[in-house]
Parts: sequence; C-alpha cells; structure tokens
Amino acid sequence: MEPLLVVEHLTKIYQRGEILALDDVSFTVNRGEFLVLIGLSGSGKSTLLRCINRLIEPTSGRIIFDGIDVTKASPRELRLIRRRMAMIFQNFNLVRRSLVMTNVLAGRLGYANPWLSALQKFPRSDIEMAMANLKRVGIPEQAYKRADELSGGQQQRVGIARALMQKPDLLMADEPVSALDPATSNSVMQYIELMNKEDGVTVITSLHFLSLARRYGTRILALKDGKIVFEGLPAEIDEAKFKEIYGEEAEEVEIR
Amino acid sequence: MDEKYYAGFMTSKPDWMKGLKFIRRRILAFTTDFVFLAYTWTIFSFIVNMLAYQTKSFVILPWWVMLIATVEIAGLWESFGISVGMRLLGVQVSGGEEKPMLRLGRRFLRFILWNISGIPLFGLIFATDQGKRALHDRLSGLSVVKAEPATSRRRYTESWALASFGIVLSTIIAAALFTKVDMRAFFTGAPKTGRIWAALLTPDWSVFLKGFRYLITTIFTACLATAFAIVFAAPLSFLAARNLTHGIIGRIVYTIVRATMSIIRSIEPIIWGIIFIVWVKVGAFPGVLALFVHSVADLTKLYSERLESIDPGPVEAIRATGARTAHVILYGIVPQIINPYLSFTIYRWDINVRMATVIGLIGVPVIGQLLYQYTQLYKFHMVGMMMLLILATVWSLDYLSARLRARLK
Ligand SMILES: Nc1ncnc2c1ncn2[C@@H]1O[C@H](COP(=O)(O)OP(=O)(O)O)[C@@H](O)[C@H]1O
Ligand SMILES: [Mg+2]
Repeated sequence: MEPLLVVEHLTKIYQRGEILALDDVSFTVNRGEFLVLIGLSGSGKSTLLRCINRLIEPTSGRIIFDGIDVTKASPRELRLIRRRMAMIFQNFNLVRRSLVMTNVLAGRLGYANPWLSALQKFPRSDIEMAMANLKRVGIPEQAYKRADELSGGQQQRVGIARALMQKPDLLMADEPVSALDPATSNSVMQYIELMNKEDGVTVITSLHFLSLARRYGTRILALKDGKIVFEGLPAEIDEAKFKEIYGEEAEEVEIR
Repeated sequence: MDEKYYAGFMTSKPDWMKGLKFIRRRILAFTTDFVFLAYTWTIFSFIVNMLAYQTKSFVILPWWVMLIATVEIAGLWESFGISVGMRLLGVQVSGGEEKPMLRLGRRFLRFILWNISGIPLFGLIFATDQGKRALHDRLSGLSVVKAEPATSRRRYTESWALASFGIVLSTIIAAALFTKVDMRAFFTGAPKTGRIWAALLTPDWSVFLKGFRYLITTIFTACLATAFAIVFAAPLSFLAARNLTHGIIGRIVYTIVRATMSIIRSIEPIIWGIIFIVWVKVGAFPGVLALFVHSVADLTKLYSERLESIDPGPVEAIRATGARTAHVILYGIVPQIINPYLSFTIYRWDINVRMATVIGLIGVPVIGQLLYQYTQLYKFHMVGMMMLLILATVWSLDYLSARLRARLK
C-alpha cells in the first residue's frame, strides 16, 4: 500500500534572522503508524509539523499526502487537504472566549456550508457529532461552558474533540502534553492512542519526553538543528544515540 | 537537491552595512545634542532679552556664532561627558576597561580630531574599522561603547541629567514670560466674576426647551457619527494591523491606511467641521461628518492595536481545520476582539458627545452654539441653563459608559 505521507528534501529557512530551521528532511509515514518526533527545543519539530499542512510555507522540497502534492496545491485544494489532517497544539489553541461547543464545531468548518456557518449555524448532525466526541473524551458536561473555564487537561481534550470532528486521516500533535502535569499527560496521550488504534488515524506527534515517546510511538524520528539524526524503533535508542540527540549533558528523565 | 538553497542564503551582512548602522546611531546622537543645545541657546537668549531689555527676541549673538558655538559645545560635551543624545541612544565614549570615564588628555585629543574628521563626516563614513570605531576615536585611543550602567558616577557623566533639568526649568520660565503670567491679576481680579457665578447658579429656565432641543441634536449627531464610524473602522482595522497584513501588497496597504488615519486623526474635529461646512453647507450634517471622519481614524487605530495583540494560536488552529479565510476571521479572530471593540466604541461615543458640544463654535446647531451665542450677548443666566444641560449630559454619559464598559471586561 502506498504511504500516507511522503516528505522529500523539505527545507525551511526563516527569512527573519536567516535561520535554517529544516535542512533537507526526507521521510515517509505509513498508514496507521504512530510516529513520534523528538529533539531539543529549537530543533525544528514545530516547523516540520506546520510545513506539512502549510501553516508555514516550506522554502523548498515536496510533501505528498495520499498521492496529492501538498506543496503545489491551490488555496482551495489546500483547504480540502487540511480538513483531512487534524492538528492539536501545545497551548491547546482554543478560542478562549467561545463556548466549548463552538470550539469543537470549529473542527467542522472545512466541511460546513459557508453561509450557514457564517451565521454560527451548524446542522443538527454536526451538533450531535460534537456531543458524541465530547462524550468520547469524557467531558460532555462541559459543552456549554466557556473554554477558558476548563483546566489544561480538559482544554486539550476539547482540542482532541475538535480534531475528531474533522474525521481526519492524519493527526498532527505538536507537543500535546508539554503544558500538562504527568498524570493528565498520560490520559491525554491515551485519547490520542485511541484515535490511532480505534479509528485508524495515522499520528505524527512531537513529544518532549523520551519515556512517553517509547511508550506510545511505533517509530521515532529525531531532529537536531533541523536535520534527521535518527530514524527507527523506540527500542533502538540506546545511551549513545540518546546523547547524540539530546547532547552530552542530558540525562533521561522518567515520567509515568 | 538542485533547488535546495538559494546562493549565499546564510551570509552575514557586509561591513559597510554594519558601518552604516553605527554611523546612523552616532549622527542621531549628535543631532539630538545639536537640537538640544540650539534650543537651550534660543530659550536662554529669549530670557536674557526679556529680563534685561524687555524685548521679545531670540537672538543675542549673530546666528553664525551661535551655530559654531552649538556644534563645538556638542562636540566637547560628547567627548568629555555623557550628553543627552548619547544617553538617549545608550552609548558613551570609553577610555578602556579600567578608566572608562577618565583619560582627559585623550579626550581632548579626540575633540580636536573630531573637528577635523567628524564634522566633515570623513572619519565617520570612510575611515571606520569594520564599522566599529571612527577615525577620531581610533587615533585618540578611545572608543564609543554601549553605555554601562553606573560606571564611576561623576558630575560630568551626569551632565545629561543636569542639562535636562536646566532645559525644563528654562522652558517654564520662558513660557511664563511669553504668556505674560500675571499673578497679581489672578489674585485680585476674582471678585469681578461674582456676577457671572451668580447668574450661572440661577439659570434662566425660559430657554430650557430650546436648549434641550439643541441637546438632542448634539446627542444624535454623536450617535450617528459613531454608528457610521464603526462600519468603516471595523474593516479598515484589519488592513491596519501589522500581524494580518502580509507580503509586499499587504505592507503597502498597511502603511497607507496607517498613515492616512494618523493624518486624519491629527486634524481636530473642529477643523473638519469647517471643511464640511464649506462642503455640504451649514447645519447639523457637517457636524456629523466631522465627527465621523475623526472617529473612523481614531477607532481604526484603537481597533487595529487590539487586533495586533490577539492570540495567534486559535487563528492557526482554525486555519488548520481547512476553514475558509472568512471563517477563520469569524471563528478565530472575532471572538477575541468583539468585547474590546464594543468597549472602544462606547468610549469613542462618549468623546463624540463632548466634541459635538464643542463644534457648536463654528455654527453647527448643537448646544455649544447656544452656549457661545449667549456668552457673546452676556446673557449669563441663559449660559447657566446651557451649562446645566451640558453638565447633566456629561455626568450621565460618564456613568453610563463606565457601567457599560465594566460589563464588557
Ligand atoms: N517564526 C519564526 N521566525 C524565525 N525563526 C523561527 C520562527 N519559528 C521558529 N524559528 C526558529 O526555527 C528553529 C526551529 O524552531 P521550532 O520549529 O519551533 O523548533 P521546536 O518546535 O523543535 O522547538 C528555531 O531556531 C527557532 O528559533
Ligand atoms: Mg515547538
């Protein structure tokens, strides 16, 4: 079967500051994989994820998603591609002043009738789906609260519910649990794992802790200064590899 | 691999560009000092002329003497102390690690050399070493460095503070002389106003209805101007927000909108009023237009500043769902700005009511016009009535607007 995502020679140079954030990055992601990106902060993980759905324009290289060239897509095509790739964020990126329900429904905007949703009207089926997804992440009772009234873990679950609304083929998560405490981290990671296992959504996520990467990842990709320095199974990261990725002084911390 | 990097994408800036940046700083510091000293000279001359000869004149020496003196004093100041310009730009002349502020001999040498190489800009532009040191600094063994906080506090390093204090003081003295502050009249003339106070406190109710009619016009003028202003300012603010205007076209639009708005805003509503009276004839309508134009400019600025401080996260998240641009704005941006926008609008409406009162001066039939007319006719009881109406309006407005805005917090 052809891979879901192919990234070829992806390079990103930020004009401001002339920073080479991604340096000739190439890799493939197969359907159903749970790929974890690791690397020090500043190694280019966020940039890589945002290049895939072109929230950031790549400087050069190609990205092929399900056989479609994302880098060459017109604005309209890009929207159709984006709705198949959901994304969740380190800071949750909810609209804090809006209701949880509105935030979740925003996940449907790629599919919605533009005129109705401009009036904040969604079809009943979408509202039912939003409720079902909130139930799935365990916070149906929060639906009509304002997003900023929720705790961090709950907000990230709203983020997941919003992603579920897209019925995506690919989920990209940019350090989804970095802002959360260890216990909450695990519960959020489990919801992401569920999406991967039950709905068959392919996952690419960056993670701060190697222990989490080992636990959830089926494959690991390590970045350093915008280059891929390791690609393989979690078990293959030994002491030497670890030092190479994180630097000589680093110690592996366990979080459970 | 063929399209990987464009050639030389990581090269750092060339020396002459660094040099240019450095020169800009130095010239700016000198210009500041020059303007500062020239101003001090002028004010000083004025005070001397005023006190000694009772003439309003700004010169005591021929202009070219003043010019040369100003340049030379600025040079001396920059060589020996920390001048106002240097202080503002955060630089100082340093004599090395141990004695940054001493080395008087070298400093004197620098001053002489500065006259030769600095004034014709020769030493600054053509003879810097890698944009680090100008010729006169290099030859005198000194360098201009980033100011260190509190290195050897001496009188001459604090000269900028002394000079700043001096300039403020002399400005106040000059201003007092200029406007003929007359303390004696202030303290002895008060009883003459008794008649006015009495009249104001016993308003003439026969003009109440007339005043009230004008008051209604005033408030309607403000409401209409504000309402129209929202319609224009809200979309314009998106073009005037730095974070939402991308690319060359975006930047041009941004600059044009920003510049236009700040020009419009700097013209007072009363001037706009005069323009529109000529344009559409006297009446309430030119008043509406004047306030409208000024409000659009003001609200665009307030709105766009708010837009510039929105959280980009939700916007990014909604874009990532595949939403159209219109939906990104509606779902990602609007919820973040709606309350501040309303709050700014109420604030502006409040201002508009006050300004609508004032534009009566130029013949717009608002309550200010009656106030002005009755004052001209010395009908102080009627003036008192108008003032009562205005006071009541301003008070209730203050209260209402504070209440509404507290709700939007
Ligand atoms: N908008 C930007 N403009 C300029 N440089 C940026 C921008 N975003 C990120 N960078 C730089 O790109 C590099 C990679 O950053 P990022 O992708 O955020 O890394 P990570 O997510 O692994 O911490 C860093 O050096 C960072 O400073
Ligand atoms: Mg990051």
